[in-house]
Amino acid sequence: MKLQKLNKLNNKYLESIGFNWHTDIDNTSYISDEFITLTELEAESFYDATNELYDMYCTAVQHVIDNNLFHDLNIPFNLVEIIKESWENDVHWHLYGRFDLAGGIDDKPIKLIEFNADTPTALFETAIIQWAMLKFNNYDETKQFNSIYEAIGDNFKRLITLNSGIEDFQKHYEKLNWKILFSSIAGSSEEEHTTKLLQHIASEIGFKTEFSYVEDVEFSDDGISLNNELYEFWFKLVPWEDIGIQEGELAVILTELISNKKTIILNPAYTLLFQSKGMMKVLWDLFPNHPLLLETSFEPLKNKKQVEKMCFGREGANIAIVNSDNSLEIKTEGNYDNFKPIYQEYVEFPQDENGNYYQAGVFYSYEACGLGFRKGGQILDNMSKFVGHIVE
Amino acid sequence: MEKKYFLKKVSDYAIVGGMGAILITSFTGCEDKNSNGQNSQNGTINAASQKQGAFVIVEKTDNGDYKIVDEFPSTSTTIVLRENGKERILSKQEIDTLVAQESAKIDNGTSNLTNPTGMGGMSLGETLLASAAGAIIGSYIGNKLFNNQNYQSQRRTNYKSPSTYSKSVNSFNKAKSSSTSKTSSSKKSGFFGGSSRTSSSKSFFGG
Repeated sequence: MKLQKLNKLNNKYLESIGFNWHTDIDNTSYISDEFITLTELEAESFYDATNELYDMYCTAVQHVIDNNLFHDLNIPFNLVEIIKESWENDVHWHLYGRFDLAGGIDDKPIKLIEFNADTPTALFETAIIQWAMLKFNNYDETKQFNSIYEAIGDNFKRLITLNSGIEDFQKHYEKLNWKILFSSIAGSSEEEHTTKLLQHIASEIGFKTEFSYVEDVEFSDDGISLNNELYEFWFKLVPWEDIGIQEGELAVILTELISNKKTIILNPAYTLLFQSKGMMKVLWDLFPNHPLLLETSFEPLKNKKQVEKMCFGREGANIAIVNSDNSLEIKTEGNYDNFKPIYQEYVEFPQDENGNYYQAGVFYSYEACGLGFRKGGQILDNMSKFVGHIVE
Repeated sequence: MEKKYFLKKVSDYAIVGGMGAILITSFTGCEDKNSNGQNSQNGTINAASQKQGAFVIVEKTDNGDYKIVDEFPSTSTTIVLRENGKERILSKQEIDTLVAQESAKIDNGTSNLTNPTGMGGMSLGETLLASAAGAIIGSYIGNKLFNNQNYQSQRRTNYKSPSTYSKSVNSFNKAKSSSTSKTSSSKKSGFFGGSSRTSSSKSFFGG
């Protein structure tokens, strides 16, 4: 693994552009000053793999809906209807997601770890911070697989044009003037600024937008509103499964609004199917032994080193790595143990000489559009560091 | 969903340059509204709910006890029983029978729900009544049960994980408090409210 030390951006500057979560609670910097160097071929491979995986996921979602496998994927029952509704109609456009991948460097094959399709974070650092560090260190900015900002902007245009060509966005938008309300839950600066970054991108390309905390958003039979003004689109940085489980009434309201075509929600409800780690078992069923996949089952795998994780677990919580002789290698605790477990064949992440593990995150917005890495222990958790990259 | 891709190559990703200057100058407009002293009570009270029922998943453990795996508010009451790796929905008749049996046990003092020295695991009937849905499905024995001081402590132990219990209590409390509050308009808000607006923690989203 080739690492390259860069000069860091200072915290004052990071805060001036809204990036307030630059320091972890143990006072260490969240942004690594070492960038991974990869070849253009390696970057291409990440791009191609991610596009292929997205297609496979779309096939798998259709399979889940056709065969009513929602329960297998641990989908809250009160979201099944809205998932189906959203999948039926292209206006429910998937704005962006992030694939977590093992390998891709050091001659290790790319393997799907999971797809954060509903509420992916790490957007700000991947799209903006690693690019700004590259500029700050006088590198040519083409030396990065990173067009996240532009790709998401183009995809916002597709909310209006769909597949008909984004060059007609302005023409169509002038007639529609549909507005987007952006919301996060009060109390997390990271979520708020991730949401506001997306709002910024949408505003810049011409959308009328507003921001409001979720608790202040109003829901009625007419649709979703703020201060009595209705918004056609609602972007919520709130996981769908939390809506189903913690705010069951909201799930009912949103289902009615979607079926009455009163609102369009980003990311759409069907992204919860992508998000469920149970989907990787469905993928393995549909594409057995596919080179980008790891064997995944709802039952423990026999005689294989494997990772047990929960369908909607996050940030490395409730994960167990189990050796092929069934002995436990490492385990994390957490609050997700009431979700259903899946068992995924173990693959070792690329390692640096200090023993740190690296996992790639590739953003997808209509196509693969940018790469970043996370560095940490064998199980990457909320204390893992963000690592940028340079393509040589 | 048919998806088509731009057939761009990584080497074409040179367009990133243009956005930088615009971004850095204009993005500073996204000020943090955390510290402006807004009233965090706003909107949190009006979460009216039409949910009077519950969806409950009960699991039979290896030693024959029953645990509540998950439950959340719903328009009607559904009990899912997970047993030997299979799941089925209990019929109205089965539920009625279980509640009647449990009622008799409460009367003669043998129910774990009301017995402070109740040992070991709960039966299916006890587990159902210990769930938040117990208040609904066992309404006719409510007085025997819900005024019993041992009941609250017993039901807490009947959840597979502590988070399922607190989650359940929270969502049902919300439904309860809102059913007595007046709603003067048809608008609803306050979802995911009540958290502090002043912390700046890192997100738990995104895996």
